[in-house]
Order: sequence, then structure tokens, then C-alpha cells
Amino acid sequence: MTRDTISLIRIGAVATAVAASTAAAAAAFGDVAAGLAALGSLAVGYGLGRKDGALPGAVRLLMFRVADELAQYRAFTKLLRDQGERITESTSGAATAIVTGLTQMDADVDRLRDLVGDAEALRSLVDAVSAPVIEMLGQIQFQDVTQQQIAFLSRLSLIVDEHMIDLARQLGDRRAMDRVGNFKEMFNKALDDCVMTSQREDHHAAAGLDMQEAGGPKIEMF
Amino acid sequence: MMPSTILIVDDSATILMSMEAILHKAGFTVAKAACGEEAVTKLQGGLKPNMIITDIHMPGMSGIDLIRKVRTMSGFQFIPILVVTTESQQAKRDEARAAKATGWLVKPVQPDDLLKVVKQILPNG
Repeated sequence: MTRDTISLIRIGAVATAVAASTAAAAAAFGDVAAGLAALGSLAVGYGLGRKDGALPGAVRLLMFRVADELAQYRAFTKLLRDQGERITESTSGAATAIVTGLTQMDADVDRLRDLVGDAEALRSLVDAVSAPVIEMLGQIQFQDVTQQQIAFLSRLSLIVDEHMIDLARQLGDRRAMDRVGNFKEMFNKALDDCVMTSQREDHHAAAGLDMQEAGGPKIEMF
Repeated sequence: MMPSTILIVDDSATILMSMEAILHKAGFTVAKAACGEEAVTKLQGGLKPNMIITDIHMPGMSGIDLIRKVRTMSGFQFIPILVVTTESQQAKRDEARAAKATGWLVKPVQPDDLLKVVKQILPNG
């Protein structure tokens, strides 16, 4: 026998007893006493219903499920933030290595230019190698721009996260915080092998080319 | 003639290194600081740059706060200060202007554009 069935039987028994006492009271003390007894039975029934009734049980189950899903969404947002941090770390390391390499290459080319002397063909070749270096050093700024865009998304995600914690608390859930780690681990495992190489290598959108400068010109002297 | 010294303030190692390389190649001497506090310490410690290039969003002291602070320091009231940032909002620009910044460049900034502005401010290199 389920817990809800037991609850319903208990409510029924109490209601029958209260109804019998209501009838007895009506006979003994008249309509006023019967009215009071009826109100009393209503209060008892309402109280029992609130505590053990079938409907609140279902509602509680639903609330638990919603809170549980909120915890899963929070795990998702945390996963996104962590991925963002990884992107920032890896691009920062790569960009630093590229800048170091380009700077060194530029210095070596300058030394080579001195050694070449008057050999016209070699000199023009050295110039051709040297020419794009500074331009490339400018392009590498994409890493900082990307880092800030990711930081912005991460902050937005934190706002959503805070809101979900609030909702879970309003639903009476006190465990959402503890469960996020487990969900995150589960998602990590599930998504571990599905990031495409093309996605890792596609920095085109992050190069700042599609940035909107609606707030003003790119260069402004005050 | 001694080359001009430019102090770059940015929390991004990539920006510090790339700007240093670009400005050094153009003949400038470069000093670097990874945050506003470090820049102030260097200025108080005797560094006398001819110009400062600063980011806006940095942990701790922001670029705007750095400009305000530098403007109160003896010997730096009139030093040119360029803001180089991903921020492009007008409100922030107005804040920088009010703090007495010299100019505003939005990242990513092309090396030619950067050098053009720097040479406009420091014509003698």
C-alpha cells in the first residue's frame, strides 16, 4: 500500500468521525454548534490535507524535479565558464609564444640584413620576410579581445546561475549547490570527445573583425 | 637624441609584448606595467616616460583611475595618456575625457594606426 493511499484512508476515517460528531452536536446543541463543528472538521481536514494529502505530495515531487533540473542547468553554465577559462589559457599561452617567436624572428632578420650587405637580391628577400612581422604582431591582439569576450559571457552566465540558485531556494531545495559538481563531471565525460578540431582552430570570429563599434570611432583624439 | 620612452599598462601579456615589439621596432624605448598599481609604483620610483598607453579594464586600479591618479602626481599632470581598449561605449569615452586622457583607440588596433597616433603626439620620436 502506498504512502498516499494510507494518507487518503486516514483522511477518510477522520472525516467520518468528524461528520458523526457534527451530527451528534446538531442533535444536542442545535444549528450553531453544528456550524462550529462543521468549521472544525473543515480545518482538521485542511490541516491533514496540507500535511499528508495526495496533491501536495505530487507538487513536492514536481518541485524537487524542477530544483533537480535547475542544478543540472547550473552544471551546464559552470561547464561553459570552465571551457571559457581553458580557451583563454590556451590562446594566451599560444599568443605569448607567437609574439616571442615573431619578435625573435624580427631581430634575426635585422641581423641578417646587416650581414647581407649590398647583395640586392638577398636584401629584398630579407625585406620581404621582415615586412609582415609587425602586421602579425598587431593581429595577435585577437587573443586579448577574445579573452574579454569570454569574460563577458562568463559574467552573464554567473548572473543566470545566481538566478537559478534563487529559484531552487524558493522551491525549498537546499542541495542544489552540492550536486553541481557531480553533474558537471557527468557532462564533461559525455562531451569530452565531441569538440571538433575545426572549432578549436577557428579563430576567425574572434579576430575582432565582426566587432561592432557603434559607440564611436576606432580612433578618437580628445 | 634619446628615444622617447612609452609606458604601456595592460593586464594582458599578449598586448604588452606585441605593443612593446611594435613600438620598439619604431625606435621607442618601452617600459611595461601589468596593472595600474604597478604603473604608479614605477612612476613614483623615478620612471619618467614621455607618454603612457593604458588599458581600461584591469584588475584592481582601472585605467580611468590610473589616469586620475597620474594627473595628481607631480611632474605628470600634462603627460600624454592614450587609452587602448576593447571598450567602445561613449559613456566610458566621456569618463576618460573627463579624467584628461589624450586619446582613445579601440582594440584590435593596427600597428600603423597606433604608430600614427603615437608619432602625432611625440613627433620627435
